[in-house]
Amino acid sequence: MIIASFATEVGLGKAATDLLSRNVGRVETYLGMEPQNDQEGSVLPAAMLCGGLAGGTGGFLMQVWATTISYPLNIGGRPDFSWPSYVPATFELAVLGAVLTGFIGYFVLAGLPHLYDPVDESDRMRQPMQGGYVLVVYPSDRAAVWNTLSAHAPIGVEETEE
Amino acid sequence: MTAMPVIAPGETAQSMTERICDITLREDKSVRTPLWWWIAFGLSLSLLGGGVVSVLWLFYAGLGIWGIDWPVAWGFDILNYVWWIAIASGGTFISALFFLLGVEWRTSLNRLAESLTLCAALCAAIFPILHLGRPWFFYWLFPYPNTMGLWAQFRSPLVWDFFAILAYVLCSTLFWYFGLLPDFATLRDRAQGRGQRVFYGILAMGFRGSNRQWRHYRPVYAVTAALMAPLVVSVHSIVGMDFAGAAATGWHSTQFPPFFVFGAALSGFAVVLLVLLPLRPLLGLQPYITARHIDVLGRLLLTSSLCVTYAYIMDAFSTFYGPDQADRTMFLIRVSGLYAPVYWGTVILNGVLPQLFWWRSFRLNPVLTWLICFGVLVGMWLERFQIIVTSLARTQLPSSWGQYTPTFWEWSLLFGTIGLFLTTFLLIVRLIPIVAMAEMRAMLRRPQ
Repeated sequence: MIIASFATEVGLGKAATDLLSRNVGRVETYLGMEPQNDQEGSVLPAAMLCGGLAGGTGGFLMQVWATTISYPLNIGGRPDFSWPSYVPATFELAVLGAVLTGFIGYFVLAGLPHLYDPVDESDRMRQPMQGGYVLVVYPSDRAAVWNTLSAHAPIGVEETEE
Repeated sequence: MTAMPVIAPGETAQSMTERICDITLREDKSVRTPLWWWIAFGLSLSLLGGGVVSVLWLFYAGLGIWGIDWPVAWGFDILNYVWWIAIASGGTFISALFFLLGVEWRTSLNRLAESLTLCAALCAAIFPILHLGRPWFFYWLFPYPNTMGLWAQFRSPLVWDFFAILAYVLCSTLFWYFGLLPDFATLRDRAQGRGQRVFYGILAMGFRGSNRQWRHYRPVYAVTAALMAPLVVSVHSIVGMDFAGAAATGWHSTQFPPFFVFGAALSGFAVVLLVLLPLRPLLGLQPYITARHIDVLGRLLLTSSLCVTYAYIMDAFSTFYGPDQADRTMFLIRVSGLYAPVYWGTVILNGVLPQLFWWRSFRLNPVLTWLICFGVLVGMWLERFQIIVTSLARTQLPSSWGQYTPTFWEWSLLFGTIGLFLTTFLLIVRLIPIVAMAEMRAMLRRPQ
């Protein structure tokens, strides 16, 4: 793999776009904050909505089953199916379901936990989370990658084994 | 009025990263953990030790060591629970609500505020469990299949409370940890020693700031923040309903849910300021937590104080506007009876004293602000005392009137939880970045 570091986020973005347009290998960018112009969406908000609906529905049905079928109990003459009193727990479980889905879903989609990766062998990979801008290419055409990168004036490039 | 900056001029992403990491990693080996930290930690541990002894004695001797009895069956246990859980809310208000509003000053404060939330929620969670009398059966509150064929009573606000606290503690912890992932990665990559690299490497879970990892990060964070904001309101509404649901004089009021939310905001902002003011110079955070932050928090504290004062006025108004003679008697007992100093202490500390924050010079005076915030926290504790104890001590039937005097073991448990709060917070200050570095970098990228 070829690892290059850049002085600015703009420089990193241009080099990544150029490499992708030339289709010379798989490209991954690394930086210590959210990318500025990330246009790609995420499925996780929709998944969180589903998780929330599942948590809320499950919580509501659990209360219905408990109070009407499994353990009906006369409390001050109120009906067994006293749905307004189920609302608070339903809401809390809906929020919990959504947040847990988002958290677990994020770990799955972001590929975490992932404690070791071959890119870690390069000292350059200690820069991104400290404010640096690094790009990793898994080249299908090494020469083309080197040529393309040199056109974008990286502050350092190295090649390591995958 | 001149706009104060949210970050000191000249600060860069690199200088900020170095400064914040240095607090945790102590990269310069000649700079040891400061003496103030060890002194504070020692004091906190001794308070915590007293609390542990108190809990062990409680387990051995039972609830009889507390001053609770008939008719005051809820005393320090519920009082301190409500007080702590309200303190916890400040972090969520700052972190979630102001994230949704997109305010910049929130970025330097959110980690500190969220950490305070966790520490306070931990202290709050102890009391309902100890109060059960047989705390080892606390899991009976979970709706789990059991051979007894029993279920929790879902019509009771006390069970709603269990769900609320469970959801709040879990969601707050996940939200806090999720925000920390990129910063743990920064510490891992910056650490020199192997032990530190392994420790922060495990906590970072392999976060490297790749495009794939960032793409899903912001949406999850934003949706979680959008859920945390109504969650914190629901938690305090349900705490209010714990009381409003009972047919006790002084409790049975539809005003209680919003009243408790106002109180939570007031004590939450107060504790953030209370901790922030000494921590700012001690950790050298002045470039990131500027006078602007203190000014804004002072205004928020004033606003929530006005809301709480409105609730106090409405309490008096609705009591005398309504038809219930018992309610009127209860109110008169509160303002002129045995516990009258508690009522007036509440009004003065929560309603009158924060009015000084109408003046900017008061808001920007650290000593005065600290004293007012301390007063607010005492005032909020007194408010819970007058709500819980007075209503129970003076029931509708005068022949059942009683009195409540907390015992040594109740006081030691209260101070024990203060020790727990300070111990956990000091450990957080020492071991994790107290400013959200990844968010600060994104903020510094924008033109100031």
